[in-house]
Order: sequence, then structure tokens, then C-alpha cells
Amino acid sequence: MDQEMTPAQSMEVIHRMIAEAKQSAQRANFYFLLWGVLCALSGAIDHVLLRQGVALHWLVWPGMGLIGAIGSSLHGAREGHRKGVMTMMDRVQMWLWSGFAITLVLLIILLVAKGLDPNPFVLVLTGMPTFITGMLMRFRPLMIGGLLFWVIGLTAAFVFPGYSSLIFSAGIVVGYIIPGLMLKRHEDGLRTT
Amino acid sequence: MAFAPLDPILHNQLRLAVVSLLVGVERADFNYLLEHTGATRGNLSTQLTRLKEAGYISVKKSFKDNYPNTSCALTAKGLKAFETYVGAIKGYLDT
Repeated sequence: MDQEMTPAQSMEVIHRMIAEAKQSAQRANFYFLLWGVLCALSGAIDHVLLRQGVALHWLVWPGMGLIGAIGSSLHGAREGHRKGVMTMMDRVQMWLWSGFAITLVLLIILLVAKGLDPNPFVLVLTGMPTFITGMLMRFRPLMIGGLLFWVIGLTAAFVFPGYSSLIFSAGIVVGYIIPGLMLKRHEDGLRTT
Repeated sequence: MAFAPLDPILHNQLRLAVVSLLVGVERADFNYLLEHTGATRGNLSTQLTRLKEAGYISVKKSFKDNYPNTSCALTAKGLKAFETYVGAIKGYLDT
């Protein structure tokens, strides 16, 4: 790699390396699928427990949050370690979702303290980082997932208020799991090309 | 027409490849640079030293899983030099 370069060769090296760097952002599908499955299951379990009159039905949510946080942290650390690189996209995503997680926990505490059902609010709030991530990655299914979170959040509040946990699970399936599966296929394709 | 002189630090295929990679990522480990440039360990190490001496990259040495780990990031000086180099190359290509 030490021979004299022509300007065209220099430009070719620059383009090739920048293209390589662009593909170095962490794969994101794992997080959408992990949180999607956990949230959808929790919503369904919460709904069943609530219908059966279990007083501590809400405990499923902090339990799910703990499992998701541990899983995400372990996976993030392992991926970062394996790739040996941190991109601007990785950092933006990390802080976007960290800020979202903190806001989410505070919002749930406030809403529960005020006696309000948190599910519609959580759906509407979840729409924001999902939509932004879709825009940043230029991945349309996630952008649509974010939009659906907003629509389903409003639906859960005004149309089916008694079924908000189930609506929440449905929202997670269309906002996280389906886009997550499509993202997995997209990222697997990028890795093999 | 006079051509802008090309920065001799960047006008080297491996050093240019390293700097171009670092423009696209915030920080990269030695092994990542090795894999993506296709260089040998010795050559990459030599060229990283040249870039560091020129103030174009910062190098952080640490331990990862009990093994030494070197990670590199582009400095503001390195980014400026890269932008100037790209401008000069474009000047050559446009004529």
C-alpha cells in the first residue's frame, strides 16, 4: 500500500474507506426484537393478570425492563468489543435511546402516581425515538413503526381504553417486531454483500 | 494553472486509507483498521506513528480482556488536513 498514487487512485481510496466506515454502525435489529418480544409479552401478561384481579399485575413491567436492560447492555458491550469501532450513528442512537429510557421511567412513575393508565402515553412517547431512528437509518419500516406508535397510542386512549395493555402489545408488534424483523433481513443482507 | 501541493503525510495509500476510515467513525481499534485496510501489522503500526507524530490522529492505549488495545481517532488538525487534501485532489481531477 505504499506505491505512488494518482489523484484518481487517491479519490478511490477515500470513497472506498468512507463506504466501509458507513457499514460499521452497530446492527440495531437485536434491540428492536428483544424489546419488542419482551414488551408484547408483558402487555399480554399484564392484561390477563388484570382481568384475573391480580393486584400486583404491574410487576411484570419492571421485571421486563430489568431483563431488557441487562440483555441490551450485555449485547451492546459484546458488539462494541467485537467490532472495535464507534461511529457517530452508534453514539447518537445510544444517547437517543438512553434519554428515552430515562424519560419513559419518569413518565410511568408520574402517571401511575397520578392514577392514569400509562400505556397510551408510553406508546406515543415510543413513537419518537423509533421514528427518529428510522429517519437516521433511512429505513422506512421503522419510520412507519414510529408513526403507527403515535396513531395506536391515541387509539388506546380514546377508542379502547379498557384494553390498553392489549393495544400496547399490538402496537409493539407493528412498531418494533415487524420493523425489527425487516431490519434484521436488511442488515443480514448488508453483511453478506 | 498552479496545482495545490498535496500533503505528503496524507499522500500515501495506507495513511490516506486510515484517515478516510477515521473520518467516517469516531474511534477505531487497531484490529478494525487492520481488517479494513488490508495492511500488515508492522506497516500499519509505522503509519499510525507517522500520523500521530503529525498530530492528525490521537492514539489511546489500554487493555481489553487483559490484552493491549490501541484505538485511534481523528484530531481536528487531521480533519482539516483531510479536507484540504480532498480539495486539492478535486482540483487535479477537475482539470
